[in-house]
Amino acid sequence: MRSILTIILNDLQIFFSQRGNLPGLLVIPVLLTLVVGWSIGQIGGGGPTRLRVDLIDLDQSGMSAQLIEDLRAANDTLVLCPLDNDAEDFCRLDDEPLPLERAIERARTGRTSALIVIPAGYATALENFERVVIDYYSLSDPLQPGLVLQSLNAVLQRASTASMIPGVAGALLDNVISAAQLPPLEGETRDGFLRALYLRSQQLLTERPSPVSFRVADSDGSSGSVLDNGFSQSAPGMGSLYVMFTVLGGMSVLLRERRQWTLQRLMALPITRAQILGAKIGVYFTLGIVQYAIVFAVGAAVGMEFGSSPIAFLAVMAAFVLCITALTFALAPWIKSEGQANGLVLLLSLSLAPLGGAWWPLEIVPEFMQTIGHISPVAWAMDAFHDLILYNGGFRDVLPEVGVLLATAAVLFAVGIRGFRYE
Amino acid sequence: MQTMVETRNLRKTYSRPDGSTIEAVKGVNLEIQQGEIFSLLGPNGAGKTTTISMISGLVEPTEGDATIGGFSITKQSMEAKRLMGFVPQEIALYPELSARQNLAFFGRMYGMGGKALRRRVDELLEFVDLADRQNDRIDTFSGGMKRRVNIAAGLLNSPPLVYMDEPTVGIDPQNRRRVLDTVKLLRDEHNMTVLYTTHLMEEAQELSDRVAIMDHGEIIAMGTQDELTQQVGEEDRLEFTIGAQEIAEAVFERIQGETPGVTRILFNPPEQLDEDSSVFAPALLTVFAKRGRTALPQILQELDSAGVEIQSVAVREPDLEAVFLALTGRALRD
Repeated sequence: MRSILTIILNDLQIFFSQRGNLPGLLVIPVLLTLVVGWSIGQIGGGGPTRLRVDLIDLDQSGMSAQLIEDLRAANDTLVLCPLDNDAEDFCRLDDEPLPLERAIERARTGRTSALIVIPAGYATALENFERVVIDYYSLSDPLQPGLVLQSLNAVLQRASTASMIPGVAGALLDNVISAAQLPPLEGETRDGFLRALYLRSQQLLTERPSPVSFRVADSDGSSGSVLDNGFSQSAPGMGSLYVMFTVLGGMSVLLRERRQWTLQRLMALPITRAQILGAKIGVYFTLGIVQYAIVFAVGAAVGMEFGSSPIAFLAVMAAFVLCITALTFALAPWIKSEGQANGLVLLLSLSLAPLGGAWWPLEIVPEFMQTIGHISPVAWAMDAFHDLILYNGGFRDVLPEVGVLLATAAVLFAVGIRGFRYE
Repeated sequence: MQTMVETRNLRKTYSRPDGSTIEAVKGVNLEIQQGEIFSLLGPNGAGKTTTISMISGLVEPTEGDATIGGFSITKQSMEAKRLMGFVPQEIALYPELSARQNLAFFGRMYGMGGKALRRRVDELLEFVDLADRQNDRIDTFSGGMKRRVNIAAGLLNSPPLVYMDEPTVGIDPQNRRRVLDTVKLLRDEHNMTVLYTTHLMEEAQELSDRVAIMDHGEIIAMGTQDELTQQVGEEDRLEFTIGAQEIAEAVFERIQGETPGVTRILFNPPEQLDEDSSVFAPALLTVFAKRGRTALPQILQELDSAGVEIQSVAVREPDLEAVFLALTGRALRD
């Protein structure tokens, strides 16, 4: 173990002693993270284009169904879980039911943007012009209502209006009858009249387009939260891109070490080949983590959120860096010159990073491109980072992505270790 | 005397991309005694580096094994490697680090540390006369200075055995002299065993207690210098450098038949340097003769009468070059 650490420290010392490495490790990634983050923030593309909202309908009535329909119409970015869950399990339900307790827990931990609970008796209360309480759970500031609460308010306003019309009309009718000294309407006749009035008002409100709708709009650039959203895309994106640049650059270093015979000199020392290989893997893994740390430190400095699970965040970072390290070792045996290695680093980084959503969120590209994008390990890392940053996910939420990255790393390491050229 | 290195039927075969194979080393058997300088002498491509790479554990033998101080390099490689230092032909140092940083790193890899390592690095920097440049980066050093640090890195663990693979390649005569003196010092003052590879006959002659001559992956002769030169008898070697000129077979027959003491003649014709060039390397005529100086005037006369333009003449007494020539029909530098 001591030999491995000695080699890792020596190689890191060499890496950091070369001033030419610093712009690629520090200056350019930091600048790009800031510029891209700010730019994405300006166009409002950094945040999620869909919001995960849990909805529990305890009433199961036609009126509660109407409320849900209105909610969908008011804001098409809302994905009402579990009703509107898709084949890719956007709702992150893992094929399990969503009882109230679980939904509350999800909202409290930020895994969903909000939870809306339609109580039992909702329809009856509206019909009878009675008070009804809809529970709303969210981590967002109630004084600065977000998209979900604003949409809900708008929809409830319509429902209240429909409920209010027969109530007001009933009171008005009673006043008119009293003033005109007409025989009072009682019993079923009065109820029937008011029900007809309610149904008509409902019909009219349903047929008319919703007076309020919400969409993700361009920002005027004055909002701090929009800026944060830009960095929640640019920091993991640029971090992943420069991890690829830095770690894949190891291909030419390994080639240079063979050419200048320092690798062979190590082999003549009383250490095993596995120790040498382990140390070299350790070097590039460490550099990848350092690269991520630099970019995320910039993100933290400008107020980027990291979610609530630092362990899950570290796991995603480690899995992605390990995957790219494995790719480096899988390709290294085939490289014949430093020029070839440098070309391949550029080609791979500049194709896999945008393909995987490092430059822009994959959600904005067509579905087939999203599927193709997942050829790139960057896509899996970005999915996981978004789960953690934007949806406050936990370790369990990113397990599939971490699993894919680690499995890919295992396959690539098997290829790389088998083909590694010591001689 | 104790055996330090022993190889048995050491063989290395490489596969070519087209599927064919090339046998770089064909069953080498060696025995090197403790405290001797043993040279592997042979032209470039003879298999010297592959042999030394197998003995030092860099390259796995296709067949056979080597033992270092009784430890098998294939089965007990850690124990074997602890007994040896390695000075490769290339400058196997980190150019971005200073001489001291390089030595300290390789020292730590031998498990050294603290004051003992500092002291050892100081000693070696003094030994190779680079104490004043110890903090300079290797990439600012001259070729000779790099060679000296390269040697120092192979001596960090004070090994009883050190391999040196052509350590004088590409350096000026002054630094070369310093390297050769260092090698002798290792044997004479530190009782080290040195396995030294070279393609330069003069180095092997100056340094070696025993020499193995390699060609085409095989050891074609082995022994002390006296034992080897006795194989070619007491003949002198007369070397005539001739311009880009062919010589008729009849001239050779006349020299061999009519000049007393001449035993045989080798002729390396002029060689076109490249396909598109009209420039030729000069031809070399080598005449083996007892009492070569006596035979020289008559040979010169024969060549002159045949119209051969002689550029230079050298009379060489029996040496390792002659042995190689006698065994292979080629000069070492070919």
